[in-house]
Amino acid sequence: MSVSIIKKERTGVINPIFNCQPCGAQYASIGIKDCIALVHGGQGCCTFVRLMFAQHYKENFDIASSSIHEDAAVFGGTQRIEDGVETLINRYPDLKVIPIITTCSTETIGDDVEGTIRKINMSWKKKHPDCKVKLIPMHTPSYTGSQVSGYDVGVLSLVTELAKKGEPNGKLNIFTGWINPGDVAEVKSILSQMGVEGNILLDVESFDAPIMPDKSALAYGSTTVEDIADSANSVGSVAVCKYEGGRAATFLEEEFDVPAVLDSMPVGIENTDKFIKNISKLTGKEIPESLVIERGKAIDAMADLAHMFFANKKVAIYGDPDLVMALADFCIECELEPVLLLLGDDNKKYAKDPRLVDLEKRANCNIEVICNSDLWELERRIKDKSIELDLIMGHSKGRYIAIDNNIPMVRVGFPTFDRAGLWKHPIVGYKGAEFLAETIANTLFTDMENKHNKEWLLNVW
Amino acid sequence: MPLKLFKCDETIPERERHVYIKEEGEDLTQYLPASNVNTIPGTLSERGCSYCGAKLVIGGALKDTIQLVHGPIGCTYNTWHTKRYPSDNNNFQLKYVWSSDMKEGNVVFGGQKRLRDSIMEAFKAFPDVKRMMVYVTCATALIGDDVKTTAREVEEELGDVDIFCIQCPGFAGVSQSMGHHVFNIDWMKEKIGTYEPEIKSEYTVNVIGDYNIQGDTFVVNDYLNRMGIQVIGHFTGNGTYDALRGMHRAKLNLTNCARSAGYIANELKKKYGIPRMDVDTWGYDYAKEGLRKLGAYFGIEDKAEQVIAEEDAKWGEKRKWYKERLAGKKVCIWTGGPRLWHWTKALEDDLGMEVVAMSSKFGHQEDFEKVISRGRKGTIYIDDGNELEFFEVLEMIKPDVVLTGPRVGEMVKKLQIPYVNGHGYHNGPYMGFEGSVNMARDMYNAINSPLWGLSKKDIRQEV
Repeated sequence: MSVSIIKKERTGVINPIFNCQPCGAQYASIGIKDCIALVHGGQGCCTFVRLMFAQHYKENFDIASSSIHEDAAVFGGTQRIEDGVETLINRYPDLKVIPIITTCSTETIGDDVEGTIRKINMSWKKKHPDCKVKLIPMHTPSYTGSQVSGYDVGVLSLVTELAKKGEPNGKLNIFTGWINPGDVAEVKSILSQMGVEGNILLDVESFDAPIMPDKSALAYGSTTVEDIADSANSVGSVAVCKYEGGRAATFLEEEFDVPAVLDSMPVGIENTDKFIKNISKLTGKEIPESLVIERGKAIDAMADLAHMFFANKKVAIYGDPDLVMALADFCIECELEPVLLLLGDDNKKYAKDPRLVDLEKRANCNIEVICNSDLWELERRIKDKSIELDLIMGHSKGRYIAIDNNIPMVRVGFPTFDRAGLWKHPIVGYKGAEFLAETIANTLFTDMENKHNKEWLLNVW
Repeated sequence: MPLKLFKCDETIPERERHVYIKEEGEDLTQYLPASNVNTIPGTLSERGCSYCGAKLVIGGALKDTIQLVHGPIGCTYNTWHTKRYPSDNNNFQLKYVWSSDMKEGNVVFGGQKRLRDSIMEAFKAFPDVKRMMVYVTCATALIGDDVKTTAREVEEELGDVDIFCIQCPGFAGVSQSMGHHVFNIDWMKEKIGTYEPEIKSEYTVNVIGDYNIQGDTFVVNDYLNRMGIQVIGHFTGNGTYDALRGMHRAKLNLTNCARSAGYIANELKKKYGIPRMDVDTWGYDYAKEGLRKLGAYFGIEDKAEQVIAEEDAKWGEKRKWYKERLAGKKVCIWTGGPRLWHWTKALEDDLGMEVVAMSSKFGHQEDFEKVISRGRKGTIYIDDGNELEFFEVLEMIKPDVVLTGPRVGEMVKKLQIPYVNGHGYHNGPYMGFEGSVNMARDMYNAINSPLWGLSKKDIRQEV
């Protein structure tokens, strides 16, 4: 069985897998409490992204724009940052952090964000000596990387600017990466079963906001400035996603000797095993029986499905690199064949990623990995019949490929706006593996019914 | 106190010029809110960019055209899977987006070669599609890529394709509005008159400023068909590229969205003498009025009356049923601009509702003239409203329903206020007679959901 890693041969993109870098930095910013990012660029760079978060979470998140107009584009836009920061601080008295996120326009014209921040800090010290709002530069030109690297830049900037050495706190940093509230809840459950106190960076579990009788709740992240500052004092860091938060974990290791583990995303049984063992190693805590039971339950559920319904079924997967690689492992565990993996940006590190390199040893089929891919790569292969698929796993922007070609599809990753409530359910951990396997099965079952393909099979299995 | 400074705006007092509360006996000309001016940075204004106004709103509705965005990936990604404009050719325009995927090297050394390759690849991937629009975005505008020359070269090389370039980066103007303008004027200059449509009726119109949200265009065209009127160009709902090139052959320009497309109606009048007839294609009574005006223009009043009678027979009772239940309900409209003046009096006349606060993202002075003259006294009229102002307005007026976008809808939900999507609709179409009833039904269902009653209860106090 072989794994071939190739690149998309076209220059342009038809149906992109990812959004641009500033989007990722904005996602990082909404995970923080009392934080409103100022996106330094045209208004669309902020408004569209807010809409995108609303599509996935069905919630409103606060992000501001510096509203670059033509004059700023020609003569420089730093005054727009100064005005934007002042407006935000004046009107939102609880604010503690304002990330200043650059875009393609303001990177191209070369606005000096750091210099502007220094200038603001000086003048605010005089005007409002009590003001403690932190301004954090996040450089995210959209002509480099993608939302994935933008998120990584965002988290790294937060940690570099805020982390401060102090007393050891005995906590474990968890860099969550771009995962769902349900995943964060699952990570927390694992930590609490192990008796480990986590410092969750960034904690988006609270994105699942209630309607309260007193109308008090709105959706926002719950990681605080203090949590980020304290990340320098933890016993270690585990990055759930290597490409989304990994650099921040590495920074803490290099700067503050906080050991960092960047391993597989804990999707599937074996990847979760590694995740839990890593936590155990870093904290010295034992793995409790409750997790052994959870693990056994997941395997029990998967065993009902794997050789009966999943074996020899061909799957295409697209999305965030950590997710795609880990889902490929998961597929192999339950006898699905991940024949096509699509990674949506031009990060050259993917091709050398040990997880992809090792995939060859485990592969149960020939696997094609396309780097710098778009969704047309998937659609074209289906249309010219160079692959035949039984299942697609990816986010909702690929939905028409599945719909028009009658291929069942399981929504994973971001965004998943065409199914209800997916962001509340975990795909990480043993519980996530169980949920994924059952979601795949139920999707295949519905497809059997719709196509009248041996639907009578679903009686005694 | 006709102009209003919200409490949340005390530190940005210039906002006072943008908010007006209408009172008895005032000279409206003294109090027109300032509009279409620079956004204040950091306000959480609702505004988007001018690229959006050109690509997402107007060009992207065309069903036979590649929409290639020259820039980094985000502008393309962000204008995909966000609109609800179907077509009668299996929704080509909803399924695909194209990007030249600009990289750092191109920003330094120029992106035209990259654009050219991307154009060729796009035509190769879709061999049946021969029409394309190319949009400049912030970065490619700043570095000065000459997209028009590249497009002309490709046209010459391929022979059978036609390409329209829109040079409207996100920072142009102050909102989506500039994108509308650039698209309109350049289309007029470059493409109108380059195609001769087949004329099949002595009554011909262009429908201008309707983007087929949830099938609005199908409703409007059905009425016109029944009156024997041929639509030459539909700008741009369910439209084709070539039909828009032939717009000079229509006898009348029926204009709904005067904001986004009034420009081209005016230009067509100037150059070809085609009269502009403004109508409201939303609203039950407005639909009657519009059809009568149209019938009178062509001297086919009887046909207009026939359509009205048929539609009224079908929808009149339902409208009445909803009116009895919606009368007196308070509504906010926070959308782009035109729907404020299309809807405020229509909701009042058709359904007995009271529109108590309206906010326009990108309307101009003429939009405020229209909405204030049609709107109620005591109502708040806001230009470029922002989030904190919205909270303050809700506190002031306690509406029963808000017509706005889904993100803001999710926000007001936490305050136990229902919303109906004022942009992409809940269960549309909302235009015409049936649309007016659809809209009433969605507002009725939103307001009367049992969940609002449940959400207000605190179970701890009911033991």
